[in-house]
Amino acid sequence: MSSARILAIATACAAFAAAQPALTPEQKRLNLESFEFIWSTIHDQYWDPAFGGVNWNAVHDEFRPRIERAATMPEARTVMGQMLGRLGKSHFAIIPADVYGDLDSHEDAGGPQTAGFDVRVIEGHAIVTSVEEDSPASVQGVHPGWEILSIDGTELAPRIQKVGELYRNSTMRELYLARSVLSKLAGAASSEARVQFRDGGGTVVTKEIRRIRPRGSLAKFGYLPPNYVWITARKIDGDIGYIAFNMFLDPLRLMAEFGAAVHACVACAGMIVDLRGNPGGLGIMAMGMAGWFIDKPDQRLGTMYTRQAPVKFIVNPRPPVYSGSLAILVDGASASTSEVFAGGLKDLGRARIFGTRTAGAALPSAIDRLPNGDALQHALADYISEGGRTLEGVGVIPDVEVKLTRQALLSGHDPVLDAAIEWIHARK
Amino acid sequence: MPLCQRLRPAVVLASLLCCSGAIRAEEPLPKAEEILDKFVEVTGGKAAYEKVHNEKSTGTFEFAGKGVKGPLTIYRAEPKKMYMRVELENIGAIEDGTDGETAWMLSVMQGPHIKEGEERAVSLRQATMREPLVWRTLYKSAETTGIENVDGTACYKVVLTPNEGKPETQYYDKKSNLLVKMTMTAVTQMGEIPTETVVSDYKEQNGLLSPRSIRQKALGQEFDITIAQVEYNIDMPKDRFDLPNEIKALAKK
Repeated sequence: MSSARILAIATACAAFAAAQPALTPEQKRLNLESFEFIWSTIHDQYWDPAFGGVNWNAVHDEFRPRIERAATMPEARTVMGQMLGRLGKSHFAIIPADVYGDLDSHEDAGGPQTAGFDVRVIEGHAIVTSVEEDSPASVQGVHPGWEILSIDGTELAPRIQKVGELYRNSTMRELYLARSVLSKLAGAASSEARVQFRDGGGTVVTKEIRRIRPRGSLAKFGYLPPNYVWITARKIDGDIGYIAFNMFLDPLRLMAEFGAAVHACVACAGMIVDLRGNPGGLGIMAMGMAGWFIDKPDQRLGTMYTRQAPVKFIVNPRPPVYSGSLAILVDGASASTSEVFAGGLKDLGRARIFGTRTAGAALPSAIDRLPNGDALQHALADYISEGGRTLEGVGVIPDVEVKLTRQALLSGHDPVLDAAIEWIHARK
Repeated sequence: MPLCQRLRPAVVLASLLCCSGAIRAEEPLPKAEEILDKFVEVTGGKAAYEKVHNEKSTGTFEFAGKGVKGPLTIYRAEPKKMYMRVELENIGAIEDGTDGETAWMLSVMQGPHIKEGEERAVSLRQATMREPLVWRTLYKSAETTGIENVDGTACYKVVLTPNEGKPETQYYDKKSNLLVKMTMTAVTQMGEIPTETVVSDYKEQNGLLSPRSIRQKALGQEFDITIAQVEYNIDMPKDRFDLPNEIKALAKK
């Protein structure tokens, strides 16, 4: 989960490597221990004993001298991250210790502050897709559909082009493009982002937007970085339930609120679960949430294949089950557990998927603490959706492909949501 | 029954890891019956076991090295009732139990599940009070198959075949005759998962020895269980083993 955020952090760490203090002999020793821990963990637990054709022993011999030479922590993290990169899979990352730290001990716990609006790159342009109610951005009149031209003096076009080319052939392209813009918008508490927009009328406007705490409540799980988690539920047109949440995390709160939202609409004509931009989280929550939509026992979303045994992602029915029309909204920033949920329910014939292809980053992973205090995220298994297809590198293909457009957003429409509503009405 | 066996249903655990090295058996192997009966003797004796009608164990459960842990409570009562609750921080409760007929599992994340077939049979077997005394009624055969090293300790390897379900292998310290390790294939709704459980730190309570430290391995992950307190013959709440409402609702379907 949160691979993109972790990647962004790692990249930022690498950029500041030159400014970092030199390592003490003790830190060097702990980094060496961490390197060996990482290599051994992959060696012992990677689901494919052939490592997908990568000579893992040779990788050790190649990177060991480099970790011995690493002079700063960011440099050491980069070496370890590059070693993991040789596997060419999602869900492998080094998480710096100060990122996953205790909720109360870090001012920036939960990540940096945000500008209060979401962004996608649509046809090469960074477009505002939603604006938080009552946020400084909203107060200043920022509107969905506005194009972002520059942030704090940095033109976005070259950045978007570079990231787009880098991930030209990756299913994660849309995710990385969005993150490349959002990471520029993020910053320290109460700081301001100077953002240049092209508004709905084509006029270039500049706004100084005060950054705010991300929406939702701060949630922590093990050595995952703390994250702000939100869930919202409402009714559309009186008899269509709509549920959206930003991560599969904070299960105590989310499962209860998700279940209550389903039960409050159990007689509704349709239900829409919006997973656009949801990067995933705890895989087991996908099974639990699917239980509110599946009334037959022994159904499964898919199977994860560990080196030791296959593990079925079984759905336990949670009566009263919602049995009406179910639409799931996804986009290229829907990843991991979002893909497990959407892909599984699609394969079971239980849901119709609307939007664009998901990120194709769907490997179950665990996070272990390293001797140097950082943490290692590593995929434990391959995952095959119930339809027999891998999601990694492929993603969930929507039944109905609908793309956001700047024009639709400017006119107050969400074409993906509109398509789902239309489908539900047609089935009444 | 060794505490490690009672914990299996909650943690859904297993592993292929086996650090045991085979040792040539140069001496006649004792019969499995002797080893299992001697286990009763060294852990307190038949009379001490027969005095126990119910029990409560409390401790902690932790995903080793993952930063996820929480309190654990297990209740058992005769003839074969069990209720276990693990409260993992930031995740919520995982409950597992049986009233002697219905075996079930319930978690915030996964919802309710009623066990059937082999999964149910294993739960009922594990819930049986005084299992070391009545193992002959639960297993159709037991055989000593060799001597193996477990972390440097020579152990008798005993293979038990239950009346219903897959064989389990238990390792008993040659010197102390205490159970130190067991391997089995855990039958869960998510699949058949090879597991390994290592137990240690036996402590005495009411004349009975039980392990207080349990490490379970499954799917390449490790789980640590530490038992802080064991109480016998407590004033058990009457509804302790009643089915939760979610399970009742599922059973009605």
